[in-house]
Amino acid sequence: MATDRYLAADAADLVEVDYEPLAAVADPEKALAAGAPAVHPQWPDNIAFTFHQEGGDTEGAFRDAEVVVRQRITSQRLIPTAMETRGVVAEWRAGERSLTLYSSTQIPHLLRTLLAGILGMPENHLRVITPEVGGGFGSKLNVYAEEALAAFVAMRINHPVKWIESRRENFQATIHGRGHVDYFELAAKRDGTMLGLKLKLIQDLGAYHQLLTPAIPTLSVLMMPGLYNFPNISADIVGVFTNCVPTDAYRGAGRPEATHGIERMVDILAAELQMDPAAIRLKNFVPANAFPYATATGLSYDSGNYAAPLKQALDAVEYPKLREEQKRARAAGRLMGIGISTYGEICAIGPSPATPAGGWESATVKIEPTGKVTVMTGASPHGQGEETTFAQIAADELGVDIDDVLVVHGDTAVVQYGIGTFGSRGTAIGGTALYYALQDLKAKVKKFGAMLLDTQKVTLAGGTCTDEVSGKSVSFAEIAGAAYRALKLPPDTEPGLVATRFWEPPNFTFPFGAHIVVSEVDRDTGAIEIRRYIAVDDCGKIINPLIVAGQVHGGVAQGLGQALWEQAVYDDSGQLLTGELTDYAVPKAHLMPWIESSHTETPSPVNPLGVKGVGEAGTIGCSPAVVNSVVDALAPLGVRHIDMPLTPEKIWNAIQQGGRA
Amino acid sequence: MKIAGAHTVPAAREWAFALLQDPVVLARCMPGCQALERTGDGEYHMKMKMVLASMSGLFDGRVKVADSCPPESFRLTVEGAGKIGFMKGEGVLTLAAVDGGTGVAFAGDVHVGGTLAAVGQRLIDTTSRMLIKRFFEKLGAEIAAGEAARAAPYPGDLY
Repeated sequence: MATDRYLAADAADLVEVDYEPLAAVADPEKALAAGAPAVHPQWPDNIAFTFHQEGGDTEGAFRDAEVVVRQRITSQRLIPTAMETRGVVAEWRAGERSLTLYSSTQIPHLLRTLLAGILGMPENHLRVITPEVGGGFGSKLNVYAEEALAAFVAMRINHPVKWIESRRENFQATIHGRGHVDYFELAAKRDGTMLGLKLKLIQDLGAYHQLLTPAIPTLSVLMMPGLYNFPNISADIVGVFTNCVPTDAYRGAGRPEATHGIERMVDILAAELQMDPAAIRLKNFVPANAFPYATATGLSYDSGNYAAPLKQALDAVEYPKLREEQKRARAAGRLMGIGISTYGEICAIGPSPATPAGGWESATVKIEPTGKVTVMTGASPHGQGEETTFAQIAADELGVDIDDVLVVHGDTAVVQYGIGTFGSRGTAIGGTALYYALQDLKAKVKKFGAMLLDTQKVTLAGGTCTDEVSGKSVSFAEIAGAAYRALKLPPDTEPGLVATRFWEPPNFTFPFGAHIVVSEVDRDTGAIEIRRYIAVDDCGKIINPLIVAGQVHGGVAQGLGQALWEQAVYDDSGQLLTGELTDYAVPKAHLMPWIESSHTETPSPVNPLGVKGVGEAGTIGCSPAVVNSVVDALAPLGVRHIDMPLTPEKIWNAIQQGGRA
Repeated sequence: MKIAGAHTVPAAREWAFALLQDPVVLARCMPGCQALERTGDGEYHMKMKMVLASMSGLFDGRVKVADSCPPESFRLTVEGAGKIGFMKGEGVLTLAAVDGGTGVAFAGDVHVGGTLAAVGQRLIDTTSRMLIKRFFEKLGAEIAAGEAARAAPYPGDLY
């Protein structure tokens, strides 16, 4: 162990490693080819698993089809690039035989359980603390070797150990995302009615399975219908090993890939039929009166009004006028595009049977003897603002000032067991657990209030409990004090004001929305200018508009990253060539367009708050809107499809080849 | 990565061919070369300091000359590994008489891996071009110095 990182780096330089390079394969399609090098000798075909999903009568739909469009669509491998890399501090207290592990993780409790197994120590001697985490996006929804290693070394040398991941390590030791090659076939009638969809999904798994690696493409398949009334669907996943970093959940996790594919296919169909892309969507949406809607993939969409956000977005851009402007621009030789994406996503993950380690969430509320409120959530956030949102929920329900509420999370010695924040689940599940704990406490506070006021019916608001008949009141703090002093108790009531709830959701939630991108392509350089970005997102009831806006903005930024700039590149020998931020183009502030964000609000019936989730929506809605817009701009040149990222080089080549790209 | 180019060496073809296989001359002309020892027929052991962007490190490697057809061509293989990665290059050098000396054309493949490739990929092409250019400039300077030394009167003759 070194006393500082410079010494550690110099010491590591003294280690001589003699590698014998073996044959490698970095491309999932090449890995499937006969004679490809085997990543693991025990699985010579590189296939980790296959998965088939079938609903309705897809073969029949394709037989009856008047038109079928086909396209290979990729969702390139991305590097999540959280601003803060991973980091671990492990402290072993030999006298107590207890280990405290600080880690930049999204899942403190699951980490504790799994680490206890890895280290062979009792789970209750292990404490995981995850302080403010500087971004995760799914990449910290994992248990990593360094967490176990730092703990092991701290126990071995009986001294605290600190490890902070460098950016280069982060690019090669933390999971990557996406990595799809999708072959889509869409069957339709000449009037634009979509009949059936087939998908062959090749998932680049990387070399090993991380926590959720094989589960991610199954989310893509589940969400294949998008917002459309698709009765017939057939999908095959082939999970392929490559000599690359494992892929796993990255903001959107399977849904951006599905949405990108289906939204591209709808545009390709519209172009084939010479229909307006907005009209073909409105024609095929699941109608607003059809909820709950059973999809061909076995899901039950909770609620929706899919036309509403699209119409709102079309109004925002003054769609008919915009198309007129595009006609004039084209006549003048300019390449102007309008791209629409209407996305659906699966959130609030999820009911426990659909998740590998429990899909519920927990909350404890403690009203302290002075009337201050402490909320402990198992949904440990990492930048989602649950400290604010959950304080709002508590303040609203208990009728206290928001400044009197403290939200505590991310310490397994303090907070009851929980699952974590991912899959846009924090508020929909963690918030609901909190809501029910608050109902328990509210009832108890009212009992104490009624007792103190010597009455039957009281209301709770503005920090006081008021007798509905006499108008006399007692403060929230006085009630709290009385509950703990317990000089007198209401009938059948225990002292204290603490409640814990574990809430199991009966279903996922299904947010949706419409994004429109107006773009212009420079004919000479291939550079893309995003002239307007309209995002209309329906995430159910909104608790905090500013936090929702932040989530939409961040999500769109990462969606733009995929659409325009980012790509993890490997050479044929499995060497990562984009090993640092100089070679991997993450979005920068000055590259962001102005995002015109607005909402429609369709409450979810799945939880009493009516919320759905918004953490991943921006990312999911974004990339197809951008690509549809740019392909629309290049359509007069005969361009039908371009794979991401839309680098100027790629666009310039497409322009030069007049769509033969 | 494909690599190709041509430089002029200010020496006759036979002389240029001999210089290109002289370990003493090569060691002096190769940028960063710290040692070059003959280990066998046409085989050398090499220590070389590589600098690329923010990285630098010592490379330990092997240089091999094969398919030698004096004074027209030979095949050169360079393999090296160090803390910052590894590289392997193979190419054919062809010598032809031109005005002012000998034209040396080369074409081959370079494969680079490790941190060197992960963080320096964009610079490898330009850096290798620059290193090759420097090599030939140095070689030209060595030849010129040698010519000058030969042209200068031997001090002993003055007495």
